[in-house]
Amino acid sequence: MSGLDNIPVNVEAPAMPFGSGNTGAILAELETSLQTLLTSGKEHSIDLRSLPLLPGELDYLRERLGKGEVQVDVNALGHSTVIETAIRGVWWVTHRNAIDNVMAEFLEVSFCPDIIRAQRDDVRESLETLAALLAGDNHS
Amino acid sequence: MNRRPTIAEQLARQGISRRAFLKFCAATASLMALPPGMAPAIAEALGKIRRPSVIWLSFQECTGCTESLTRSHSPTVESLIFDMISLDYHHTLQAASGEAAEHAREEAMKEPGYLVLVDGSIPIKDGGIYSTIAGISNLQMLKDTVENAAAVVSIGTCAAFGGIPMANPNPTGAAGVQALMDQGLIARKPVINVPGCPPIPAVITGVLAHYLTFGAIPPLDALGRPLNFYGDSIHDRCYRRPFYDQGKFAKTFDDEGARKGWCLFELGCKGPTTHNACATTKWNDGTSFPIESGHGCIGCSEPNFWDAGSFYKALSAPADPLSFAAGAAVAGAAVGVGMSFMNRAKKSSAKAAHETATLKDLEK
Repeated sequence: MSGLDNIPVNVEAPAMPFGSGNTGAILAELETSLQTLLTSGKEHSIDLRSLPLLPGELDYLRERLGKGEVQVDVNALGHSTVIETAIRGVWWVTHRNAIDNVMAEFLEVSFCPDIIRAQRDDVRESLETLAALLAGDNHS
Repeated sequence: MNRRPTIAEQLARQGISRRAFLKFCAATASLMALPPGMAPAIAEALGKIRRPSVIWLSFQECTGCTESLTRSHSPTVESLIFDMISLDYHHTLQAASGEAAEHAREEAMKEPGYLVLVDGSIPIKDGGIYSTIAGISNLQMLKDTVENAAAVVSIGTCAAFGGIPMANPNPTGAAGVQALMDQGLIARKPVINVPGCPPIPAVITGVLAHYLTFGAIPPLDALGRPLNFYGDSIHDRCYRRPFYDQGKFAKTFDDEGARKGWCLFELGCKGPTTHNACATTKWNDGTSFPIESGHGCIGCSEPNFWDAGSFYKALSAPADPLSFAAGAAVAGAAVGVGMSFMNRAKKSSAKAAHETATLKDLEK
């Protein structure tokens, strides 16, 4: 929680006859990326913080993409959420730090985002841990 | 050097899991304004490089740059990056004082190849007596420290371009680090300029992370600023840009246009001639940036911003729109124009060619 959250602010959406044009571009990029994922298996990721978006446009994007069936919490260096959007294969990934501020936010196009997968070295270590556990059990 | 652990080892020692490391690399890529696909390359690089020694020198400055950094909004990433370096001397942050502090600096200097961070300008008038640390003039300390450095990072507009201490009439003869190298007063080393008053904390750490990760100076613009943060003008990345394009301008700070969030160009916004990452990285936990709060950009990441005329006077431009597009807008109180993003050598000749232009001229 940042201290700023305690300040009551009522943001009025400015009277916008048009948007920044970036939400349409993001959706189009997602379309291309999904196509690429299907044909070549190549994953893609869009850094949402690198784009100038008008106030409210991030919410608009969230609304347009909807919510899918999968929501994963990752507790590593603070809390991260990986939420599948209603557009399957498009994941909304939010990385937060130890005090819950957003560090990075991505739209990932993949069958399963890397952060969820167990890594090979981790599995190797797990095997050793489990073997040690079993050896301990056999001794007692 | 080889005795130092690699950065990945350092993080593992702190109990950072592989998944956390992956997250760290993704956040670092975002911080460095690199494409997200670079995260695996960052992870690989961090597994190889060793923790470098860093000496931070503060000269004629207000400590705003250090404040900006230490109050940065994502302490996890920033503090991890600081765990990645060995900050051997920083006279505001270090616990040691007096002779012990200076001794730490001398010790760190024994092993060449360290990184020197400088905030504040360096006074050179009257033998540099206007600012001293432990009886050593800033100029002498910088000269000694830079001698065996791998590179220098000038943090803030004062270290990069002289900043406010150098503002008219510049009573102390203040100069930035690059200027001292150009004058042959200190050894020439690669310089990365990270201007801003202060610079955005994420930009400071992003530049450091880039240097640490890739062991190289990032691509720079003509003023020595990393292109991934200073490559675009505030104006080009501004969310109010569509209003500019439609010719919708706030005329005063409380008119209908101001309330509707129209473009602040006519109120003196220096966004078109200022290169920085404020419009996308933003400030205070990504909350907003000056233009989003209703005030024009004052151009603090450009040289001589303080002497460039009123913050509230609309930018004027050279009559020839092509040279404006090529980046030839120039600073100068006399003509009241905005900040320069061209090299210093071209400045005086360009200055003569400038005249006040109207908004119409800009849009030609």
